[in-house]
Amino acid sequence: MIPRIALLGNPNTGKSTLFNRLCGLRSKTANFPGSTVEHQVGRCLTKSGQEMDLIDLPGIYSLMLEMPESRLCADCLDGRVGDGRPDAALLVLDANNLSRNLQFAASALRRGLPSVVAINMVDLAERRGLIIDEHAASQALGVPVVAVSARSGKGIDRLIAQLSQTSKSNATPSPDIAYPTSEPGSTASAMWAADVFARIAAHPNEKNDERMTIHDRLDAAFTHPLLGIIFFVLMMSLLFASIYWLAQFPMEAVDGIFGWLGSGVESIMPEGTLRDLTVNGIVGGLSATVVFLPQILLLFFLLALLEDSGYLARAAFAVDRTMRRFGLPGQAFMPLLSSHACALPGIMATRLIPNYRDRLATILVAPFMSCSARVPVYALLTGVLFAGRPLAAGFAFTGCYVLGGIVGLATAALLRKTILRGPSTPMMLELPDYRLPSIRNALTIAVDRGMLFLKNAGSVILSIAIVMWWLSAYPKSQPSPESVAIEMRAVEVAQTDPTTAENLRSQSQRLNERTQQSGSFAGQIGAICQPAFAPIGLDRQLTVAVLTSFLAREVFTTTVFVLAGAGSDADGEDQGTLATVRSATRDDGVPLFTMATSASLLIFFVLAMQCLPTLVVVARETGSWRWPLLQFCYMTIIAYTAAFFAYRLMS
Amino acid sequence: MGGNPLLRPLAHLRVDIETESQYHFSMAQPTIRIPLSQLARGQRATVECSALDSLPSEHRCLLAAMGMGEQCEVRVCRPGTPCIVQIDRTRLGLPQIIADQIMVTPIESTSP
Repeated sequence: MIPRIALLGNPNTGKSTLFNRLCGLRSKTANFPGSTVEHQVGRCLTKSGQEMDLIDLPGIYSLMLEMPESRLCADCLDGRVGDGRPDAALLVLDANNLSRNLQFAASALRRGLPSVVAINMVDLAERRGLIIDEHAASQALGVPVVAVSARSGKGIDRLIAQLSQTSKSNATPSPDIAYPTSEPGSTASAMWAADVFARIAAHPNEKNDERMTIHDRLDAAFTHPLLGIIFFVLMMSLLFASIYWLAQFPMEAVDGIFGWLGSGVESIMPEGTLRDLTVNGIVGGLSATVVFLPQILLLFFLLALLEDSGYLARAAFAVDRTMRRFGLPGQAFMPLLSSHACALPGIMATRLIPNYRDRLATILVAPFMSCSARVPVYALLTGVLFAGRPLAAGFAFTGCYVLGGIVGLATAALLRKTILRGPSTPMMLELPDYRLPSIRNALTIAVDRGMLFLKNAGSVILSIAIVMWWLSAYPKSQPSPESVAIEMRAVEVAQTDPTTAENLRSQSQRLNERTQQSGSFAGQIGAICQPAFAPIGLDRQLTVAVLTSFLAREVFTTTVFVLAGAGSDADGEDQGTLATVRSATRDDGVPLFTMATSASLLIFFVLAMQCLPTLVVVARETGSWRWPLLQFCYMTIIAYTAAFFAYRLMS
Repeated sequence: MGGNPLLRPLAHLRVDIETESQYHFSMAQPTIRIPLSQLARGQRATVECSALDSLPSEHRCLLAAMGMGEQCEVRVCRPGTPCIVQIDRTRLGLPQIIADQIMVTPIESTSP
């Protein structure tokens, strides 16, 4: 039986950095059995190979607060969620803020679970001249204490060994320690913590922190009503422009690898259905989504750096003023920011919002925030709109995020003035110290998110790619008389003019592809639904792509490749996946992605509720299908109308 | 509330002073309680007992757990909205509406 250890601590104690340091990439997102509450579970290995499962719980200030995350942590420690009580607890304290952290530790230790205390960021404390006595701390707290630095790795081996020993020995906190019975923040608890602090910490050379005034100035700038917003917009623009620019190189490499793989498979396998399925269905379909992995990795890497630097908490206040004008509480900032990764965790994070109306308004506008599944679609369409101009494409990319945000906020204002009237809850937030972000931690987070994306690509997207290939490959159509005539001409001139013969064969092949596409099941579905999408400039192929992307937005590029891309590659040129999709044509030979169609589609994807899993989660979180249905209808109408006007203007 | 109705508007002027010496003492050492939002940048103050009583209980408990308990010392890093205060090594950002309801006693600067 692998011991289970709950990881607990105040926010901003470096708990997640420690979790990443202890488990590396051996972690996964999981739900507590029988519940929808997500958490990270990681496997930690001792030097002797013993395994331990670490449960990363949310950062909380007290186990007794009437807040969802506090209740979750208390339930986990008491065995009310998950597989019973954990075997041990790892309490993470910030060495630079011990007085408050000790009060939290006391309230957790009072529950009697075998525990180890990790005093984190001791390197920073030592730089300030504060020295922690581990032995005295163990005696004062009644459990083993290890001083660590999750960033540098100092003390990590000793911590792992101690965790292993405590989880095996089942040693509960010493009964001789009189932990305060009142909650953290009470006078009794503060006095107990002050006494313990005096016994365990020495500060012979503690420096008055000169940076405080610099911190004050930075805080004033980053939370300023005007400067703060300007800085926020600049920061986000820089972030997305750099994602766009930096990602193009690895994207080309991924594209090349898939191209090489497709050619390899094509040369090895005999011609036929199986080869067609492998090359056009599996390899081509997967490549159209996986090619965007570098952008996903970069987005999460840079966001993790920003969060670690301490800036994002200030940004929350900078945007709070704006959000409040639209009737959203400051607590909505983090769920809405999380929705930029994926609306599902964002919607689930709204549980932290205490007011029901605030929470409902946040849930209803969260899908307007551009999620990572939209990144492939944005990248493709902005690339078409601004071909060869990466800076302009980067700004357009940012514009998509801004558009989603603005329409989301306007919707929130509308909701709060109509069906969700009522006051908002004020935001109180701890502002972590500014610091150099940890590259290692950001890399771990980015790789973790990237693996989730790949897992999705390997399951849902692969299945859809195969289904789409089948729908577009069957029923088989007979070559058209026109194509047969061209083929015969090619045979006639083959001896005298091989170049013309080759061109004629390509032409005939393209005609066959078109006949096949329009006669296939996908073509028939597209033809039925296309009139509804014609006003926003979509043809049969794009209609099918939009319809299938309702299952997962990133499937759009895959579907376009499978439906149109494979056909346009018939001229024998060795094009990459992106180039293939961009150069795809309609039945009448007109480019599939014109400026007007690209703009219309881009706006449609920014604003439309093209995500079935999100609707299911909204129904679950609101306890009714009424809200997701309202959300779907509202977003679809807004998206369709905006796309219609964009198409008309650009045409 | 009985008594002469004519005296009621002046009730707030009542001063509990019995001797002259006590009067001089109270003038020299006044205990001023003001809202946290009225402190200037860099000013320090003590959060008084029952200073958070006017807040809803969920806000009061959260603030206490975040470090703003009774008798703690705060320093204002940024007045306004958000009001950023420092308690020990913790910085908290508070909206004006909350800072208005937290009563504090300013600490006189000891520097010459």
